[in-house]
Amino acid sequence: MPGASISRWTLSYFAASLVFLILGQVLLAAGFGYPVLPVEAPETLVIVHLIAVGWLGFLFCGALLQFVPVLAATPLRWPGLAAPALILLIAGLLLLCCGFLRLAGYVDHGPVLLPAGATLLAAGFGLIAAMIGGTLLRAETMSLSARFVGLGLLSLVATALLGFAFALELSGLVDIEQLHTLLPGGISLHAFFGLVGWMSVSAFGVSYRLLTMFLLSPELERRTTRMVLALVASSIAAAGVIALALSFGRDAAASIYLPILLAAGAGLVFGYDVATIYRARKRKTLELNSMTSAMAVGALMLAILLSLLLLLTGQLEDRIGALLYLITFGWLSLLELGQLYKIVAFMTWLECYGPVLGRRPVPKVQELVCESRGSAWFYLYVVAVAAAVVALLLGATSAFQVAALAQTIAAIGLSIELVRTRHLFYVHAGQDEPEAKRPPPLFLPGSLERSSHR
Amino acid sequence: MTDFKTLDVRPILRSGGEPFQAIMSAVEDLKPGQGLKLLAPFRPQPLFSVMDRRGFGYELEELSGGEFEVRFVPKQDVTPVDVSPDAASPDLWPDPSVDLDLTDLDPPEPMVELLAQAERMEPGEVIFAVLSREPVFLYPELTERGHQWVGNFDATGTTYRIMIRVGPKAPSP
Repeated sequence: MPGASISRWTLSYFAASLVFLILGQVLLAAGFGYPVLPVEAPETLVIVHLIAVGWLGFLFCGALLQFVPVLAATPLRWPGLAAPALILLIAGLLLLCCGFLRLAGYVDHGPVLLPAGATLLAAGFGLIAAMIGGTLLRAETMSLSARFVGLGLLSLVATALLGFAFALELSGLVDIEQLHTLLPGGISLHAFFGLVGWMSVSAFGVSYRLLTMFLLSPELERRTTRMVLALVASSIAAAGVIALALSFGRDAAASIYLPILLAAGAGLVFGYDVATIYRARKRKTLELNSMTSAMAVGALMLAILLSLLLLLTGQLEDRIGALLYLITFGWLSLLELGQLYKIVAFMTWLECYGPVLGRRPVPKVQELVCESRGSAWFYLYVVAVAAAVVALLLGATSAFQVAALAQTIAAIGLSIELVRTRHLFYVHAGQDEPEAKRPPPLFLPGSLERSSHR
Repeated sequence: MTDFKTLDVRPILRSGGEPFQAIMSAVEDLKPGQGLKLLAPFRPQPLFSVMDRRGFGYELEELSGGEFEVRFVPKQDVTPVDVSPDAASPDLWPDPSVDLDLTDLDPPEPMVELLAQAERMEPGEVIFAVLSREPVFLYPELTERGHQWVGNFDATGTTYRIMIRVGPKAPSP
């Protein structure tokens, strides 16, 4: 039967990802890794993986579990794997970070930590890829959005495989010739597959669908959208060829610019598409999540311009930290935080009021949030990210830490707003209808049986 | 068997009018899987390519006096029809007693509106509605409440049409 329902474990993924976001940001503000220490320091790797895997990765997994069935108009394949996957992912990430701490000298023992963590992470992401990929393959027709998500999954697999290879190499447990040659040039590919191939490309696909839905804009398969798809597909394919060349000992590190340029072109055309979608919208006043999405896409455009500028002036390697920060926190995190704010309210609304819709008055989805408070935190977040990027470009370490602290406070504020939405804090229940304010569980799945609600 | 809606454009043409608008609005009002039977005083050649783009093939029959009957039949493969598991033979459902245009409502308002409408109706009655999205979150809710439904996108892919047959009255929660 076609149709989609609440994904039971998605909110658990969201809760875990917010914990890792706050943890990573606290470490940044405390000066644990970059920019106090070099980009390649193990301490920086701890933060990078807390943010990239723990925050963005888990968030994307949770969101895709909910969203892909909507995209494919078919129920999720193997939904029972969602909980084991989350446990594998969390355990894997914690072990991986312990492995990095060992490289940094905080822990003396346990060369097995890194490969063990990478194994669990790869297994967890493998389960996710099976569920999402299986759902997409079951769809009758593959929409353009679904194709983006499919390409993103291929990149996720590539990211996990490269990460697993590096973990083996860095642990010193094995001595494989291909791994020695893969590591030096492969790090940037690992980051490229993760941040661009997987997350940005999935975000493109999801945005095309969600933006048209939230803005009441016509959902057309545009020629420019096909162009974006072709560019990201060739970019990912080029990165795949480079990864193979590196592992066979060819010196292909310099050719990483090809996939980056292709992806930058895709990003610019995507920006054009988003502007078209906003212009063609029927809904005139923008909701908070549509405002933050627009700002996130603006940050992506800035990141592309910055990368071209740094490339032309030969400063890309020196300033790569600032560029990655802008992509991670300006584009991906802002986009996802905004959608999180909307999706949590919608899921809570559907969970609480779905069974009684049409039978008695229910609050609107917008009544589950307080947009004025939410927007205050979002603006603090945006200003903090902008300040942090400028501080990184100028090399002003203390100013960066202050900005990172402000960003942490904004993230905590937004998390509190999300908890309030789950608790139906803003819903005004009538005196005679106490059941209108019975909140669902905070982040664990509710009961399976709908009849028990009645 | 395709069910046809009939439109006779001969009076419009006789009075010197232009029937194109009437034909297009008749096409937009077609229900999922429904065809259009057109009666015209000549062979409406230009219409065939217009209707082809909208996902309709045609059958032509010459009537007496040089007039034509054209049956535009929806090409099934263009817009697959989604059907609830228990929706046996929607062809035999009664004509819809309610027609709703929900294309301008913000999601999830169309879902609220349709469920509320279904509550107000008698078992066996049928709702017809047009939406701007496929209402994927509505389907499980309809099934849960014992309603049957059938729906698909129109040939342009911009409007979703749904017919809901109200199920037996359930005890209120």
